[in-house]
Amino acid sequence: MLKMIVCMKQVPMVSDLPWDPVTGTLTRDAAEGMMNPACKHALEAALMLKERHGGHITAMTMGPPMAEEILREAIALGADRCLMVSDPKMAGADTLATSFTLARAIEIFCPDFDLILCGCHTSDSETAQVGPQLAEELDIPSIAAVEDLDLRGNTLRIKRVSDNFLETLEMDTPGLVTVATGFFMPRYASMAGLQDAFREPGILTVGARDLGLGEDAVGLQGSATRIVDIFSPVAKKENIVLKGAPKKIVEELFERFDDTIGSLIRKDLKAVE
Amino acid sequence: MEFDACMKHKLVRKSVREFAEAELGPVAHEIDQEARFPLEVVEKMRPLNFFGLQVPKEYGGAGIDSISYAIAIEEISRVSGSLGLCLTVHNSVGISPILRYGTKEQKERFVPRLSGGECIGAFCLTEANAGSDAGGVETHAVFTGGQYVINGTKIFVTNGGVCGLPLIFAITDPQARPGRNASVFIMEKGMPGFSVGEIEDLCGMRANPVSSLFFEDCRVGRENLLGKEGDGLKIGLDALDIGRIGIGAQAVGIAQAAYEASVKYSRERQQFRKPISSFQSIQNMLADMATEIDAARLLVYRASERKDSGRPFGKEASMAKLYASATASRVTGKAVQIHGGYGYSKEYDVERYFRDAKVTEIYEGTSEIQRMVISRAILAEPV
Amino acid sequence: MAQKRRSIWVFGDYRNYFQNRVTLQLLSRATDLAEKIDAEVCATVFGHEVDEWVGEYIAHGAAKVYVCDNPGLKFYSTDIYVALMERIVRQYGPEIILVGATSFGREFTPRLAKRLKTGLTADCVGLDIDDAGLLVQTAPAFGGNLLTRIVTPEKRPQMATVRPGVFQEIPHNYQATGEIVNVPLSGDLPKDRVRLISSERQASREQKLGEAPVVVCGGRGMGSKTRFKNLFELARVLGGEVGATRPVVYAKWADEDALVGQADRHISPKVLFSFGVSGAIQHTAGIKNTGFIIAVNKNPNAAMMKMADVAIVADAGQVCTALIRELKKRIRT
Repeated sequence: MLKMIVCMKQVPMVSDLPWDPVTGTLTRDAAEGMMNPACKHALEAALMLKERHGGHITAMTMGPPMAEEILREAIALGADRCLMVSDPKMAGADTLATSFTLARAIEIFCPDFDLILCGCHTSDSETAQVGPQLAEELDIPSIAAVEDLDLRGNTLRIKRVSDNFLETLEMDTPGLVTVATGFFMPRYASMAGLQDAFREPGILTVGARDLGLGEDAVGLQGSATRIVDIFSPVAKKENIVLKGAPKKIVEELFERFDDTIGSLIRKDLKAVE
Repeated sequence: MEFDACMKHKLVRKSVREFAEAELGPVAHEIDQEARFPLEVVEKMRPLNFFGLQVPKEYGGAGIDSISYAIAIEEISRVSGSLGLCLTVHNSVGISPILRYGTKEQKERFVPRLSGGECIGAFCLTEANAGSDAGGVETHAVFTGGQYVINGTKIFVTNGGVCGLPLIFAITDPQARPGRNASVFIMEKGMPGFSVGEIEDLCGMRANPVSSLFFEDCRVGRENLLGKEGDGLKIGLDALDIGRIGIGAQAVGIAQAAYEASVKYSRERQQFRKPISSFQSIQNMLADMATEIDAARLLVYRASERKDSGRPFGKEASMAKLYASATASRVTGKAVQIHGGYGYSKEYDVERYFRDAKVTEIYEGTSEIQRMVISRAILAEPV
Repeated sequence: MAQKRRSIWVFGDYRNYFQNRVTLQLLSRATDLAEKIDAEVCATVFGHEVDEWVGEYIAHGAAKVYVCDNPGLKFYSTDIYVALMERIVRQYGPEIILVGATSFGREFTPRLAKRLKTGLTADCVGLDIDDAGLLVQTAPAFGGNLLTRIVTPEKRPQMATVRPGVFQEIPHNYQATGEIVNVPLSGDLPKDRVRLISSERQASREQKLGEAPVVVCGGRGMGSKTRFKNLFELARVLGGEVGATRPVVYAKWADEDALVGQADRHISPKVLFSFGVSGAIQHTAGIKNTGFIIAVNKNPNAAMMKMADVAIVADAGQVCTALIRELKKRIRT
């Protein structure tokens, strides 16, 4: 049976940018959380493999206690088991510390996995690094941004576009893939699934001690990078407003911005028009 | 009581909202304009158990709790009141009477078809001379030759144009006292003598195919009688208690949509070189809207919670329905006012919310009937 | 013994050389940074028969090029490249490694950083040196709506992947000279656990949209599918591509591959025409690198209008039609 782990992250809702432009600070607490979109695609890929070949899916996240919600959601969508890695000491982890911590949890709680699936990147920090670094930490092969995958025996066959090349690749399990968005369109949670997702009262939650990790190995202390500051890029646009009848506006547009849009006119179409 | 704060209910809300905004959102405006029932969306709702929300698993449903149910109806209605109406009627008055009063055979025969969305349910009480007054029903069922022969016309049937298994309310014993003279039958589309009228051209809820249903010498066996002969009124009143939670939730959803549109618009719309949200008169309206919606929502969840904990909830459901529907009307009216001329335009959604809201004060018991139900309950309480 | 000079390395990513100039852009930026910390700029080239690229990198500012030449390195391979790179990094100890944030760069570099147990900042849009001599890496977050400045205080090397197009390459100078270090490959190459079955170059529509110099983007404000179709005609006349917002794709007015915003659906046209787009951050995240924005919307306060160079307050469909007419008139004359 194909044993899969889907690593997922809770991110702030895309519609609520956790940023107060007046004070210039992050307002992370205010934002509602959701499953990172790419992680949803990764889960969908796992569900597809499970439907095709049978299998068992462990949904796993590292995050604050409220991140339990995305694990429940994963159960509602069809995951079989959850693992929550949560510890205040783990806050502020960069990708190096995150992948290190996830690897230790996997070694202890699901060591006999065949395939790990991650989203290709998160919508908040957007590094796309945790997947490949987790594979490196576990010393298994990885393929990023896969668009199609299937299994024959213990060989994964993968299609993806990498730098304008359509590639077909193979690797043997155990391995790790990160799943591109735009493929494996996620299903919606059914109402029955949502009901079932909350049948179990508790979710297996492990902290740094359970993983045998000291404070210096996880979170900010275990990280190599430091954030200096966060800021909002300021648009330096003149923002000229045009009003009136469409025909007049278009004429004005060409008059005033001929240097920008005049050059776009395709003289090569002259013959055919 | 923290109704909405638990993770489950939050996740139900997010999940239904995600579906509704993605799948229903793009067509919500158009199906209202074209008065079209969106079968393509309904098709996607079926496997997600939207047609068997509270039906137990063994009959193909989701078996969700009543607050989750209210949230689901609320979120669908927030995007399209018409679809919210379809769902609440189907799930509450369309299915719950069979679950409550049906025999094991009836449940096995009818409920899976309904909960899978293969057949859409309806509940037919209203007639030309009967609505608030159930005693005015003229449709009758005469038992003869081992079968009931049913004749009559039902009007303003929600889901009428698409229903497959409507429940109808008919007089079985004209001699019995009112309250014991009627029964409920499960009718099946395709039965000889059962036909569907034109889709009504209504002010709101235009994407719901509301129509008349005609029964001419329609013959059904005892296996289509729900409960016992004469149980009609009891079954009907019971169903409506549950239905009112759904209509309350629907009204909250419509009001919520109008409120959100108003907040957004008042921030963007500038007059006198300021966003109109900076004017106190607009702020007052927004504050009232938010407060009333919250109060209505809490009333709906309270009734739901009482239902799940097995306590009487009829009075609470009526209060929720009365207050939520009035709130929907008031809030959508204010939303039109805030939007000014644009609010009166069919190009903007608030006009649709305004039209959709009104009928929540009318169907499944008018506001006047709700007050009657509530006052009777109050006055029956020991001094 | 002379003190070992500090160095800034640029990973030579030569695939798609003509479209993707990120390595040259990084050599240019590395030259500026190197002045501030008194370092030399080096490039690495892995592959087979790669003299052409070695010459290019020297002409674009590399003082030294580390070359691994072997038939087995012909195709990019994360496993093999990471192993080789680790070996020479440990041997020569660069202060900074910069890699283009191409698909390969973003797959290869995280593993390398992990192997070296050092920090890595993804998809940088700014690089500088602070007073302490640390590399300050500016990376986007939340779809480019926020920027984060990141340093790696202690671990070495400091590593970053850098978004193509952020820095300007310096003009080539074929008179420039540089040292070429041929890295001896003793014995077998490291093993590759990923097998390449096939690889073919392709230019998908999505990439055409991503690289198009002119994009005509439409939102719900276009009103209907019929009116949305006019955008395709406008795009044709402008020699551009059509982009769409999420609601438009949901409503099936446009295909999924026209989607702009979120999930790597970035565009960076010189000119963007935006019709009836409200400007939800999911969408605007995808247009951060746009040159000139002309937005049309009936609502002057829509977010999209606020971020435009020219905001036209009018019906999007009517302006689109008027624009097509005007352009065709000008094409004829």
